[in-house]
Amino acid sequence: MLNYLFFKGCTIPASLPNIEKLSLEILPEIGINLTETDEFTCCPDPIRIQGANQLFWLSAAARNIAVAEEKQMDIMTLCNGCENTLAITNYKLKNNKDLKDKINEILKEIGKEFKGTVKIKHFLQVLKDDIGLENLKKRIKTPLTELKVAGHPGCHILMPNEILKFDNPVDPEFYDKFIETLGATPIDYLTKNDCCGVSLSLAGEKEAANNCVKSKIIDALEAGAQVLSTACPSCFTQFDTGQFIAARDFIELKESPMPVLYAIELLALAMGRTFEDIGYNLHRVKTPLELKVLKV
Amino acid sequence: MEVLRLKYEKNEMIKKDKSIEVCFKCSTCSKFCPITQFVKRYNIEDSFVTQLFEAEKPEALHDVWMCCACEKCVITCPQDTNPTEVFTNLKEKAYQEGLAPAIIYRLVEQLLSESTVYGIKFANMARKRAGLKELVKNEKASKELNIIARKAGLVQEEEKEKC
Repeated sequence: MLNYLFFKGCTIPASLPNIEKLSLEILPEIGINLTETDEFTCCPDPIRIQGANQLFWLSAAARNIAVAEEKQMDIMTLCNGCENTLAITNYKLKNNKDLKDKINEILKEIGKEFKGTVKIKHFLQVLKDDIGLENLKKRIKTPLTELKVAGHPGCHILMPNEILKFDNPVDPEFYDKFIETLGATPIDYLTKNDCCGVSLSLAGEKEAANNCVKSKIIDALEAGAQVLSTACPSCFTQFDTGQFIAARDFIELKESPMPVLYAIELLALAMGRTFEDIGYNLHRVKTPLELKVLKV
Repeated sequence: MEVLRLKYEKNEMIKKDKSIEVCFKCSTCSKFCPITQFVKRYNIEDSFVTQLFEAEKPEALHDVWMCCACEKCVITCPQDTNPTEVFTNLKEKAYQEGLAPAIIYRLVEQLLSESTVYGIKFANMARKRAGLKELVKNEKASKELNIIARKAGLVQEEEKEKC
C-alpha cells in the first residue's frame, strides 16, 4: 500500500467536492492510502499568486511542504496547478541553498523549516511511477470498451519539464495510455496539447475563453471523441462550466455537448462505479449519450 | 542575423531576465500562445508576446494577467528565451505598484483571510450537496500564512493581520 498525504488544493474541495469524495473511496482500491490534513493552505496558485509576489508564493508553498515533512509523508496532488507550484518550489529550494536559506528565514517566524525530504506527485505521476499501468489494468472491472475519449493532459503538469519530468511536453502520451488502460479508445486530436483557456476566463476575456473552449471541444468531437477527460480541476471547470457558458454563443456546442470526466471519475467508471456514484449529476454538461455508450 | 533590440532593453525587467534580449521576433511563440490565438486584438504579426515586449510600461497593462504560465512560448522559442518568466516579473511589478486588476488584490485578501482562494461559506454549499463534511477555517494555518505574507512583502509589515 502506498501512503500519501492528500493535498486537495482549493478548487476540488470547494467546487468539485464529488471528486474529493470519490478519490477517498476509489484510490485505496488501487493501492493508494490517502491521509487527510487541515494544515495545508492554498498551494498557492502559479498564475496569479505567483504573479503577485514570487517570494510569498515560494514561502507559502514551502510551508505546505514543511507540513508534509513534519509528518514524514510524501504529498499527492489532484491538480496540475498545485503540482506545478509545489514541485517547482521543492526543486528550487533543494537545488539553491541561498534561496532555501532565505525562505527558511521566513519560515522560522512560524516555527517551520523546509528540509527537502519529501516527494510531491500528481495522481497521474503516482500511477506512472508507483503503480504502473499494467498493475492498474488488473483492477479494471468494467473496461470502457465502447468509449472514445479525448485526453487533455493540461499545461502545468508538462512544463517545466526539467522539474516535473512527467511526459513529453510537445507530444504528451501518458494520458492516452491511461485511457487505453481503462479499456477506452484514446482519440488523437489536433489541439490536444493546447491550453484550456482558464486564464482568459480569469482575466474576464469571455469571448476569447468561449472561443478557446469551443475550438478544443469541436476539434475533439470531429476527431470522434464522445468524452473529454482531464486530471486538472481548473481545466475540468473550464471544459464543463465553460462549455455550458460558451454554448450560449455557439449553437454547435448546444447541439452536441461534450461530457467531461475528471481522470478519477473515468477510473471509477472502469472500476464498476455508476454515473450516480461518481456524482455526474453535479456536472454542468450531463448529456445522457454516454449512458448508452457505457451501458450502465 | 542582426538581433533586434527591444524598446525597454534597459528596463529593470531585462536586468532580471537577460535572455529576453536575444528575442528576434520570429513569432514562433505567438503561434502557440493561447492568448494570441483567441484574443481578437492580437494576431501572429502583432501578438500578445511582442506587444508586451514593446510596451513603454508593460506592467501597467492588465493583459499581462492573461498569461497562464503554460510555457508554450518557452518550449517553442528557438532562442531559448523565457517569456513566461518575464510576464511573471511584470505581474509582480504591477502588483507592487498597485497596477494589477482589482480582482487580484481581492484574491490575495481572500487567501489571507481563510487560507484558500474560495470562500469557505461558498465551498460548504457545494460540499453539503455532495454529502461531505463542512470545511472549517484552520486558524493556525491562516495566522502562519499572514506572517509569511508580511515577511515576504506581499503585505506591508504595519498592516494588520487579516485573520
